[in-house]
Amino acid sequence: MNAPVEAYIIVAAILFFIGVVGVIARRNPLIQLMSIELLFNSANLALVTFARSWANNAGHIFAFLVITVAAAEAAIGLAIVVIVFRKTTFVDVDEVATLKG
Amino acid sequence: MQDYPLLLLIWLLPLFGAVLLWAFGPQLKTWAGPIGSALVGVPFIAALTLWGAATTGTGAHQTLFAWLPQFVFGLQLDRISLVWTMIITGVGFLIHVYSIGYMAGEKAFARFFAYLNFFIFAMLTLVLSDNFVGMLVGWGLVGLASYLLIGYYFERPTAVAASKKAFVINVVGDIGILYAVFVIVAKIGAIGYGDVFAHIAKFSPGELFAVCLGLFIGCAAKSAQVPLHTWLPDAMEGPTPVSALIHAATMVTAGVYLIARCAPLWNASSDARVLVGSIGALTALTGAILGCAQWDIKRILAYSTMSQIGYMIMGVGVGAYDAGILHFLTHAFFKAQLFLGAGIIIHNLANQQDVRLMGGLRKKMPFAFAAMTIGVLSICGIPGFSGYFSKDAVLNGTLAHGHPVMWAVGVLTAGLTAYYMFRMLFVTFLGAYRGDVDPSELGLRHPELAGTANPHAADDEHGHGHAHAPAWLMSGPVALLMIPTVLIGWLDFGGESSPWGQFFAPVFGKFEPVAGTLPDGLTGLIVFVLIAAGFTVAYMRYGNPQALLDAIPRLRAETVRMPSALTHAFYFDAAIDALFVKPSIALGGFFSRVIDPHVIDAGVREASISANWLGHLFRSFQTGLVRAYALALAFGAACFAIYYVWIGAGR
Amino acid sequence: MIAFIALSLVMIASALFTVTAKKPVYSVVGLLVNFIALAITYLTLHAEFLAVIQIVVYSGAILILFVFVIALLSSGTKPFEPGPNRMPRVLAPALLFGVIGFVAIAIAISKTVFTPAAIVGATGDANVFGSVADFGTALFTTNLLPFEVTAFVLMVAIIGVVLLAGDEAPGRRAPKRIAREPISPPRERIAP
Repeated sequence: MNAPVEAYIIVAAILFFIGVVGVIARRNPLIQLMSIELLFNSANLALVTFARSWANNAGHIFAFLVITVAAAEAAIGLAIVVIVFRKTTFVDVDEVATLKG
Repeated sequence: MQDYPLLLLIWLLPLFGAVLLWAFGPQLKTWAGPIGSALVGVPFIAALTLWGAATTGTGAHQTLFAWLPQFVFGLQLDRISLVWTMIITGVGFLIHVYSIGYMAGEKAFARFFAYLNFFIFAMLTLVLSDNFVGMLVGWGLVGLASYLLIGYYFERPTAVAASKKAFVINVVGDIGILYAVFVIVAKIGAIGYGDVFAHIAKFSPGELFAVCLGLFIGCAAKSAQVPLHTWLPDAMEGPTPVSALIHAATMVTAGVYLIARCAPLWNASSDARVLVGSIGALTALTGAILGCAQWDIKRILAYSTMSQIGYMIMGVGVGAYDAGILHFLTHAFFKAQLFLGAGIIIHNLANQQDVRLMGGLRKKMPFAFAAMTIGVLSICGIPGFSGYFSKDAVLNGTLAHGHPVMWAVGVLTAGLTAYYMFRMLFVTFLGAYRGDVDPSELGLRHPELAGTANPHAADDEHGHGHAHAPAWLMSGPVALLMIPTVLIGWLDFGGESSPWGQFFAPVFGKFEPVAGTLPDGLTGLIVFVLIAAGFTVAYMRYGNPQALLDAIPRLRAETVRMPSALTHAFYFDAAIDALFVKPSIALGGFFSRVIDPHVIDAGVREASISANWLGHLFRSFQTGLVRAYALALAFGAACFAIYYVWIGAGR
Repeated sequence: MIAFIALSLVMIASALFTVTAKKPVYSVVGLLVNFIALAITYLTLHAEFLAVIQIVVYSGAILILFVFVIALLSSGTKPFEPGPNRMPRVLAPALLFGVIGFVAIAIAISKTVFTPAAIVGATGDANVFGSVADFGTALFTTNLLPFEVTAFVLMVAIIGVVLLAGDEAPGRRAPKRIAREPISPPRERIAP
């Protein structure tokens, strides 16, 4: 390892919270989905770091599964964005507030 | 101890009658009268059959149930309650029969008999209970029955007000008795008469006086003693049979019964004796004075009731128990006779009650005249009539127990009694009939208020009252009552060896007179002199031929010149109004105007507004915006992170 | 160490660029840079297979998917013009929560003692930690069930996407569009 484990985890945490702020602060759903991908990746970084730290394969397997699920989720999220775009002419999560009340 | 289930029958039959007549009144219609009367007559006969059992040992007992080991409820028929039961059921039966005639044609005929039966049941509860609490239950029920019956003509506002007044004043008395019962239970721990009287020594003198005072407050309220007497004249708003039964013969004597029953308590506290005797004497005098100023025939009789009960209370208060009870016995008969006779007059004159508008009824209603005369002779204490024996016994007993002042007051009252009773007799029956005279000539300012008790009097076409019921229904009981009115006093002939004295000797024991009393013959002579003086004054003012000719101007003059202290009954009503009624109404108004809308309603409103506000607060969270929910998630994650760092990381 | 620092800086910078870019296409490019830096970081962590998977699947498939959708949406008129901002002033709380969480994790990490295990064998050898053979063995023996379930998840995702978005027949008349909802005036305050 090039750096201590704590450093990798700190970097992963920074990436994670950049992603969180991105989800909350942007209104374009595509950007929000990309921020969510950032969250997944930060988790993956943490997993791989710990896998290397304890020389355990399970971290790699888990990261692999995370990538798969992230792919599926991104696909469905984008499908929803497309449908919303068909109903309205704009892409803005603030307008899709039918749960209001 | 042997049980007597017949006591249950005596006690419960009137209750059964009351419920039956309440429930099926409209269907029973005129059958309610005979049914009600029968259900009171049967207990009378049953009580007669128990005479032997009641006069042996401690009497006939019937246990009802034991609520706690020390609180056993039961019925007992001993000598004291036997006398009361005979009067209640016997005179009650006669008045029931009388009411069939008097109340004929009333819309709510059955309701009257239901209430009367309920009253009989309540009064029997009072006198048949063998414990303080049962008696208190009967006490309260009797107050309720009185309320129901005084307010029988509930469409009449004065009747409603009178019934409320009676009930409230009775409740004041109930509080006194309740306090006394609390002290008794706290000190002795039992409620049965036998248990309590066996342990009188456990009371300190102060406590004993407190108990007697509490009980006496109840007696004062129920028996219309000063200052709790103001309800009795107003109670005449009820129908005349009610006045006869409740407010003359039975209910108002409940106080006398209580004191007689608790004789051991009073024997042990001479302070209580002085108190009760004084109040009794004062009431006798007050009632007599006020009776001289009344124009409503029923009110005259009401004040005379108050005065005579003052005699009874004085008698049992100072310790002359059998004298007081004898006066109760004779009073029940002659007062019932007077009231029922007055009822015949009122009924036949279409509910006219003002004596100024009567007169000359000797020729119109000779039977009523005979009945009332016999009653008056008895109440005044004319020798030979029953009232003479009992009044003499009370006065002599008072003197023998060492209370000369009370005796003097009693003697004076006897003179006043003679005056106002004969006044009533002369103004009502002698002279010319004044019913057609213009009321203002007689000094009446509000003739329409001159004593119409029945609100249906206006729709009476023939001014002769309801002549539908057979006359014997009303005159029969009155005639029957004439016999004891004259004769029953002879039971006491012979002093201690008389039948009456021997009847009560096992209960109250022998008594030694205090030294220095006057001999019986002398006291009797003094009393007779005063009675004769009262009769003479009444004759001079109302009865002699010249007075009868000048009746109308004389009556007007007397009406106009009556001192306002007398017409306002010594301002007792005004005082109670100012001291208690007006402040209570003001307090209630304060609560209604200020506390209720601004404190209680405001609190409730605040609760609802807070709920509303809280709901709005939570609703503002539901924006439907994805980003808001994401923010909430981030907030939750931050909280968890803090938790795990500060608390979880330590592990 | 230098490699790590350089890579970390690139990752963080590109992440920031992704989140703050004005146009979505810019964001995609930023994300691409992020993923590549991440893959190289995996290489330094002895996770070769995963590094390649990262590039192939993430940058090669998912980002392309994003680009396609952006292209699809850009066919409309001004699709990305933002409407009225219904949550103004949201940045401060979001940053606050982020910082709090980050600080918490930092504290937690700093209190833990890590002793990295040694890796036996040279990189690139077969069956060494992180190699394809090692990964494959683990995937198909110990973790076979998760593998199958993941396959199932992917299938569901495909079916879902087809159901959701794949049904527009050409030539149908344009559907009625929903207009933007105006911002309502604030509700009157209820006095507590």
